Formats: sequence, structure tokens, C-alpha cells
Amino acid sequence: MNIIEIKGLKKDYPLGKTTVNAVRGVDLNIEEGEFISIIGPSGSGKTTLLNVIGCIDTATEGSVKVGGAEITIMNDRALTDLRLHKIGFIFQTFNLIPVLDVIENVEFPLLLMKKHTKSEIRKRALKLIEEVGLKEHATHRPAELSGGQRQRVAIARALVTNPDIVLADEPTANLDSVTGAQILELMREMNKIENTTFIFSTHDEHVLKYANRVVKIKDGFIMEG
Amino acid sequence: MLLNLSLRNLFRQKRRNLMLGIAIGLGVTILIMASSFSRGIEDIMFNKIVTYVAGHVSVNMNEGLGKRVPVFRDKERLFSIIKKNVEQDAEIDESFGVFTRAIGNGKADNMILVAIDTSKRYTEERKKEVRESFNVIGGSLLDIGTSAVANAVILSRDRAESLNVKKNDVISIRFRNVFGQNQSERLTVVGVLQNDNIFMQGVMFCELKNVKAMMGYRPYECANIHIKIKDPKENAVRVADKIHSALTPGPAFIAGKLSYLSSESEVVVIPFRGDDDSIRLIGSSFELLDGKMDDVLLRDGVMISSNIADKLGVKPSSEVLISYNAKFEKERGSFKVQIKGVFKSDVYKGDNTIYMHEALFYPKFYDRIPDLDKERARVSLPEVLLSLPESTNKDRSNTFLPEDLNKKRASALGLTDQAYFKSALGNEWELLDRTRNTDEMRKKYAAQARKKIRATTMDVNSMYESASDVLKLESVLNIITLWAVLILFFIILIGVVNTLRMTIKERTREIGTIRAIGMQKRDVWGIFMIETSLLSLFASFAGTLFAFVLMWLLTLIRFNVTDNPLGILLVSNHLYFLPTFGSVLLNITLILVITVITAYFPARRAANLSSAEALRHYE
Ligand SMILES: Nc1ncnc2c1ncn2[C@@H]1O[C@H](COP(=O)(O)OP(=O)(O)OP(=O)(O)O)[C@@H](O)[C@H]1O
Ligand SMILES: [Mg+2]
Repeated sequence: MNIIEIKGLKKDYPLGKTTVNAVRGVDLNIEEGEFISIIGPSGSGKTTLLNVIGCIDTATEGSVKVGGAEITIMNDRALTDLRLHKIGFIFQTFNLIPVLDVIENVEFPLLLMKKHTKSEIRKRALKLIEEVGLKEHATHRPAELSGGQRQRVAIARALVTNPDIVLADEPTANLDSVTGAQILELMREMNKIENTTFIFSTHDEHVLKYANRVVKIKDGFIMEG
Repeated sequence: MLLNLSLRNLFRQKRRNLMLGIAIGLGVTILIMASSFSRGIEDIMFNKIVTYVAGHVSVNMNEGLGKRVPVFRDKERLFSIIKKNVEQDAEIDESFGVFTRAIGNGKADNMILVAIDTSKRYTEERKKEVRESFNVIGGSLLDIGTSAVANAVILSRDRAESLNVKKNDVISIRFRNVFGQNQSERLTVVGVLQNDNIFMQGVMFCELKNVKAMMGYRPYECANIHIKIKDPKENAVRVADKIHSALTPGPAFIAGKLSYLSSESEVVVIPFRGDDDSIRLIGSSFELLDGKMDDVLLRDGVMISSNIADKLGVKPSSEVLISYNAKFEKERGSFKVQIKGVFKSDVYKGDNTIYMHEALFYPKFYDRIPDLDKERARVSLPEVLLSLPESTNKDRSNTFLPEDLNKKRASALGLTDQAYFKSALGNEWELLDRTRNTDEMRKKYAAQARKKIRATTMDVNSMYESASDVLKLESVLNIITLWAVLILFFIILIGVVNTLRMTIKERTREIGTIRAIGMQKRDVWGIFMIETSLLSLFASFAGTLFAFVLMWLLTLIRFNVTDNPLGILLVSNHLYFLPTFGSVLLNITLILVITVITAYFPARRAANLSSAEALRHYE
């Protein structure tokens, strides 16, 4: 089953008097449980594509279905809700909330959902922190962690709500290659344990070996995949 | 969770938030101090100075042209009218000032002897208030109530110096009594007033009952009335208006016996006014059968109705004796008058009536007032005192009804055209118009002096007329407070907007992140609003605390202001703040509202940030 169906997606950015065509007509289907990598040079439209899929940016043209629902016609409220329940995010710069410690950062999306009790939330967060191997650092603030550790927290935070899709925009770009590899290992592992669809972008050929499918993008077009 | 996040964020940019917090806190401090100070002054003015100087509402009497005696000859009646028109808890006091020439140890000066009633029971609270308002070293103003010495008096330091007297010395004073005669009396100094302000300079205080005795008041007579009411700012004018309209006088007359030679007759004596308009009206309304109208209209003019004149054989230049029952004295009132004319009597003017110039009438009338209510029931009064509508006396000109209207009413009653002179007759007293401010009041007094009114004038004032100079100070203070609020508003506006703008810029990527994770716009907005509100709440509490500490410290300072009119703003030489729970709450709320309003738009901008844009943001 296709968890994501993209047809004729175009995204333009107005830039002064001209328009930047960041994505120029993309058709892409992604199946549930895939571990898929989007690769392309800088400025090729990877971030743009992921943002549209992640419902944090809107398409200029085309149709995008996430979990069967057409997102191009949803309002901000519904999109926000969809992000909260269906999508997890991992960022290149980790983007943890600095005033919260590790466990609070992981709990954060669950608190937003307002569906679980405090103890349920704590239990779930602890489980994920354990899975990403940060049990000892649960009460540390992000500033007290290394880059790799921070990205692990981000992975735990992305997965804590049990999303259908995790989007990771260049998750290893700010890490050294060893740590980056560990992070990808971890993501891969999580993909297997939770059967969550992972889409991550990269411009680093070395990380492609982790993906079970590679989509190549250039100048806003899909070249291959 | 939002609260938790806001709280933690608050401690993130410590310096910036501390600065803003201090600004807001100081704002609260200034606001609370300003309003407490202004309330303190208001309290001093309304509840201390004004109360003792003039009352919130005062009823002032003036009997006898030129004598200027504050006397009303029926205390009970006046008090009952006033009581009916004020709230239960209003305090009604007699009080008045007498101009005196005082002689101390070899020196003399002019002073006002102020009579105040200390005989009623004072609560501890009131005693304390008196002590605070009137600073008498080693004693209290209430010491004038002592009977250990004759006529105890407390005088201002200023006059104690100019008379060269101190405690236990004797001052002799000369003044004019109720009867208009000069009199001297000896007073014993029991204290010196340390307050040096414009109100207290030429003043000495003496017990009301002593002053009344010196002045020759009889037990049933009273002096000026000061009324202290609740919420004077709200109510003073209304209460004054109400009392004023309740004090509308009825027509004056004396009903009694007329004796001439060996015969007697019932008679009603009616005063006519002595002003030019009234004299003209009387002259044209009466037809004399004997005597000259010119003589009748003089200050000793008296005319008698032809009916009794014929019956008793009274002629112009006959001397008749009039006697009547007095309201308070056992002894009947009696006086002799010389008749100057005989007028043609009718039902309107009365068959058994004497009309008399007010200059002749009122001294007799006030000296031994009759019980008019009783007399109204006992004798049949001439139509003129009954038929036409009683003058409302709102305005002196109103008492002279327009001629045509008077004629119309008279002819409707089947009376002759000449019968419209009611407005020329005198009333029990003369009620002066209400005025709205000191200026109007002064004009009124000047106009009244020109009219040469012989009846006792009665004047109802609220503090807005009698103490408007003091009250002006209050509006000045209010304006200052308003400015403080405005300036604070802008400081807070700029502070909050700037701080939020910086904070939002710094946290742009964070906002993008939490929006991506799934926080709704409204909650993002909420975080910033809560953050700012918390900051201003903490700051307000700190500011309030600081304000109270400052006020406490300031009240410790002793000011030695002499001959400075601003001295009235001090209580026993100390600054006086009156913070009330309500006003503190109001000020804090005001600041909170201002911060919330100013934070609203920046917070909304933060919430509306596009998540994708925000995530792309690098500092
Ligand atoms: N907000 C924007 N306004 C204008 N142009 C934009 C905006 N966002 C992206 N672009 C342009 O769109 C194109 C695609 O950008 P995108 O960020 O998707 O590239 P990318 O593949 O993620 O690049 P990188 O590997 O450097 O992150 C680029 O040419 C970029 O300059
Ligand atoms: Mg990118």
C-alpha cells in the first residue's frame, strides 16, 4: 500500500521579481515500511520535497496524498494535527527544545496529543530513550549532549508518537561519518522494529547503502528511482 | 505544559527579561505610590480638612442685616429637616466661626473663634483621627471640652506667638454676640496647635457649648450645620441639593391679639419686603382709606385692615400692642407699633391683618418665634397666605411671579386685579440659591448683600463650593497620575514589543520545530502570552512589595514645614499614603492589561510564522 502518493507536484518560490521553481513536476509513490533516501546536489529541491510531504510547506501545483488523505486542500489546523499524529521529524540541526531535558523533549509530542496519561507518556518516552541508547542521559539538557546523542534524542522524539512516516532532512550532515553511520543504523533498526516509513534526504553517496530505495533528484526533477 | 514551557523560557534570556521585569515592576511601584499618595491626600482633604473646615455639606445662617449672626431659631426643626434628607450614618454637627479681637500678654490680634462640638461621644478611631489632623503637642484638640478651666481654647502657633501666650495663659476676646452687641470674654489656653497651614493660621478652637453660651444662644437655637457624609465625592452635591429643596421656607406671619385702648381683636401680622420692587408692588396693590402710602412704605411702616381699624377705632398714629404665643418661651411675645395707614380690607388681604415693613417685623419675629404650624391650624389666615402657590424661592426673581401670571391666578380666585403682591411678602427665612463653585458662591453673596435681605438667609453649600480650592488640588493629582499611567504605558509598550521581537527572532527555528512537531498556532501564541503575563505578574508583585517598602520608608521621614501651604498634605508632619487593596489590585490589573495588549500582536506574529520558513532561519 502506498503511504505517500505524489502526482505532478510543483513548488515555486517567489524571489523578488522572479520565481524559483524548486520542484518542477514530481511523481512519486512511497510504500509503507520503506526506508527511502532522496539524494541530490545542493539546491536540487530535496528539502522542498520533504517539507511538502511533511505538511509544513504547501504545494504550488499537483496532488499529495499522505496516508490516503489529500493534504493540498487541508487548512493549517488539520495539517498541524496530521503532522502531530502521522509524521515524525528529524532535522539536520537536531532542533531539540533547549529548555527541556532529554525525557521532556521526547515526551513533548505526546503531551501535545493530549491523549495519554502522564505515566503512559513517561513510560513510552523512557522506552524510546532506551531504544536509542540514552537511558543514562535522560535528565540531561540538549546543551550537555554531543551531536550524535542529540540526533538520537531527535529520533526518539520523532518516533514517540508512533507515526506512519518519519522525515529526516539530511540527518547526518552535521555529524562526523562514524556518528552519522551510527545514526543511520539506528534509524534503520527503528524502521525494522516499528515498521515506520523513513524518508531521508542526503547529498552523501556513502549513506545510500542503508536505503532500500534511492530517489535521485536534480533541479526539481526526479532523475531515477 | 504551556505554562511549564513559558516559565522555563522566561529564565532563558535572564538579562533581557530581568530588565523588562524591572521596568514593569518600577512602573507598578510608581503607580501604586502615586495612587496611594493621591488617595492619602484625598483622605486628608475629604475626611479631615474639609470635614473640620466646612463639612461635606454645610447649612449656613445669617440673621439680621449687618449683624451677621449664624443663628437659626428652631434647632429641632432644622435638624429634623436635615436628618430626613441624609443617610442614617451622616454626622450632623453644629459649628461656626466668630470674628474676634483677641488680647494676650500685652499684644492683640484678630482671630476667628471656631466652635466645635466635642461633647458627643468620639470613637477611639475618631479621636485618633482628630489627633492626626490637629497636632497639639502634649494633648488633643478634644481638650477644649474640659470644664477644669473656664472657656478652654486651643489656638494656632502663629497666633500664640503674635499674642505672646502659652498654655494656661488667659486671652481676652471681644466679639459681637447674637444680639449684635459687643461683648468680652476670657478664654484659657489649654494647648497650641502645631499645624501650620492656611486653614489653621488665624484660628482658635473652643467648645461649641461655651461659644454658644458666650454668644447668647438660647437652648433651642442653633448655629451653622456641618454635615459629614459617606462618599462625599459622589454624594455631596446631591445631598446639598436635596437639603436645599427641603429647606424651602413658608410665608412668615405672627398670629395673635391686637390690643388698642381697652378693646382687643385677633390679628395676623404679615411682613412685606423692603426692596424697591416689593415696595412698588405693595404701593400699587393696596388702597389706603386713611394715612399716606409714603409713610407706610418706610422702614417703620405699618398698615392695618379697615375692618379692625373701624371696629377698634384705630387711626394712623395710633399705637397698638400685639401679643402672641411663642413656640419655645412661656412668656408671650409682645410689641407695640405705630399704625401709619388703614387699607381697604378684603378676603385676599384679610379682614384682620396688619402689614408691616420687614425691618420692623423680623427682629420681633426672630426674638420670639411663634409656632406657625400650630397657628395655621388655629386661625383662619387671609387668602394671600394660602391661595397663591407658595413661592418656590428657587431664585429670588421667581418669588416675584410675572405680573400677568399673578393677575391670572388672582382673577381665577375671583379676586381683584390688584391682588398680586404675594411675592412682595416675607418668608420665614430667605433660602439662597445653590451654586456650583466658589466663584458663583462669591457672586451670590455679593448680590445678596446688595439686596439687603432682612430675613435670616439660609445657604446650603457642598464642599465643592466652600472648599473648591482644596479640591482643585485633587484634580491636579489625578492629572499627574494619569500622565504617569500614560508614560508607563509607552515604556511598557516599547519594552514588551522590543523584548518579544528579539526573543521571537532568536527562537524562530524553535518555533518552526514545535510547529512541525504539531503544536497549533494558538498554543504558540499562548506560550508567548503566558510568558509575558508571567513576567509582568512577577514584576508587579515585586513592584508592589517595593512600593510598600518605599512608602513605609518615606513615612518615616519627618518634614518640618512651616508657613508652607503644602503642609496641609502632611499628617503630623509625615507623608501620608493610603494604599487600599482595591487600588493596588486595580494598578496591577492595569499593568497586566497593558502588557497583555502590547504582547498580543508580536505573539500572534510568532504564531503565524510559516514552519518551513522558520526552520530555514539561521541566525
Ligand atoms: N523560501 C525560499 N525562497 C526562495 N527560494 C527558495 C526557498 N526555499 C528554497 N528555495 C530555492 O529552491 C531550490 C531548492 O531548495 P531546497 O532547499 O529544496 O534544496 P536542497 O536540495 O534541500 O538543497 P541543500 O542540499 O542545499 O539543502 C533552491 O534553488 C533554493 O534556492
Ligand atoms: Mg536542504
